[in-house]
Amino acid sequence: METMTDPRRPNRISRPRRTAAAAAFALLAAATSVSAAEGEPSKVIRLTTDAATQVLQRTDISADEKRKQIEDIVKQYFDFQTLARLTLARHWKELSPEQQAQFTREFERHLSITYGKNVESYNNEKVVITGERQENGGDSTVKTRIARPQGNDILVDYRLRMGDGRWQVIDVIIEGVSLVANYRSQFQDIISRQGGAVRLIDVLREKNARGEPIKS
Amino acid sequence: MKARSIAGLLFALLTFATPIGAVEVYDPLETVNRGVFWFNDTLDVYVLEPAAKGWRFVVPKPVQKSIDNFFRHIRFPVKLANNLLQGKPREAGIVSARFCINTMIGFFGTLDPAEQMGLSEYYEDFGQTLGVWGVPHGPYLVLPLIGPSSVRDGCGYVVDSFIIVYPLYLPRFYTLGSRAIDTVNYRAQYIDEIHNLKESTFDYYITVRDGYVQRRHALVHDGAGLSEEEQHELYYGDYD
Repeated sequence: METMTDPRRPNRISRPRRTAAAAAFALLAAATSVSAAEGEPSKVIRLTTDAATQVLQRTDISADEKRKQIEDIVKQYFDFQTLARLTLARHWKELSPEQQAQFTREFERHLSITYGKNVESYNNEKVVITGERQENGGDSTVKTRIARPQGNDILVDYRLRMGDGRWQVIDVIIEGVSLVANYRSQFQDIISRQGGAVRLIDVLREKNARGEPIKS
Repeated sequence: MKARSIAGLLFALLTFATPIGAVEVYDPLETVNRGVFWFNDTLDVYVLEPAAKGWRFVVPKPVQKSIDNFFRHIRFPVKLANNLLQGKPREAGIVSARFCINTMIGFFGTLDPAEQMGLSEYYEDFGQTLGVWGVPHGPYLVLPLIGPSSVRDGCGYVVDSFIIVYPLYLPRFYTLGSRAIDTVNYRAQYIDEIHNLKESTFDYYITVRDGYVQRRHALVHDGAGLSEEEQHELYYGDYD
């Protein structure tokens, strides 16, 4: 976290420092695979948020390029299959394996469209890891605080689960509001009102088609 | 007094409130709530959000932050009373120390030097106090102008508005004016977040409702997370 630029002097990095930053970034990318295998949830979150902030602070690439890079970072550390399954809960079984894969894909796309928009409103926020909690049942929660320059810090918890030999994020809890829980109730509402989990895939697909981020 | 009769009504409703699980949302008045929610949102779209956007454009960031600090600062009696009512003397002490420090060397609370000294805020309100005392959340309510609430938090809101003493010795004009500034300034802090939320959601009403209930649950339990059963229901169900 200490690698951030001074908030009072945003985007003013001299050329040698920029090269140094690029080198640091490359090192970071190499280090990620090692640390994930170490099985330390906090480290996973630190690397994810560090890498994402690095991308967000760059001034030499377009917003679309930033979105793409951040998507790649997130994909590495998020278990979207579990996330999607948890949002559907008991309705998950109503879908065939192909439909489950379809749903996961559309849901992932929905999240990427939704949160990709935030790339443009980045305003020198910094992530501070404030603690880690071992949950019963094997999961782990990493607590963080997003420090915003204008105040009103935001508390974000990440719930991680061990899968394929590494820790992956399965839920994001913003100020006590769980992403999984919030989508679950929205989805259950659609499922019960509009007729089945299969219909939900179409709803998602239609929304994704409309919600395409504006090219910048 | 009008506020008092509302309080009476809310307390009456509370006694009939059915206890519910924390993650589960009890919304028997959904039809009415949706109507009020629509009313509030229309007001937000046509009045509050434009005002907040103008405010954000005109007022420099540090000034916005100072105003935000100040209105949190003067909620001191509410924070003190509720920390005490919840049996948290340490937090009550810190909140008091913060008030003294920020009044004296923080330009009457517009700056927050106490935070730099390691004295962080402990925000509590009477809705949370009731929650700590074991009062269930009760039916979800959307109140006109005020927004998402519940029978329990509505009662809390009324009680807190009596604890905030500052309007009592100010003429009504200043109270209303400061209230307007507080509201617009606060809304201005979340313009992008709310815009994104509205765009991303499938049902804005449900998103706000569930978000509200979960957030209040987290506040009552001071961020301690979900109970065993809630975690099981959310993360370990047999969904394969």
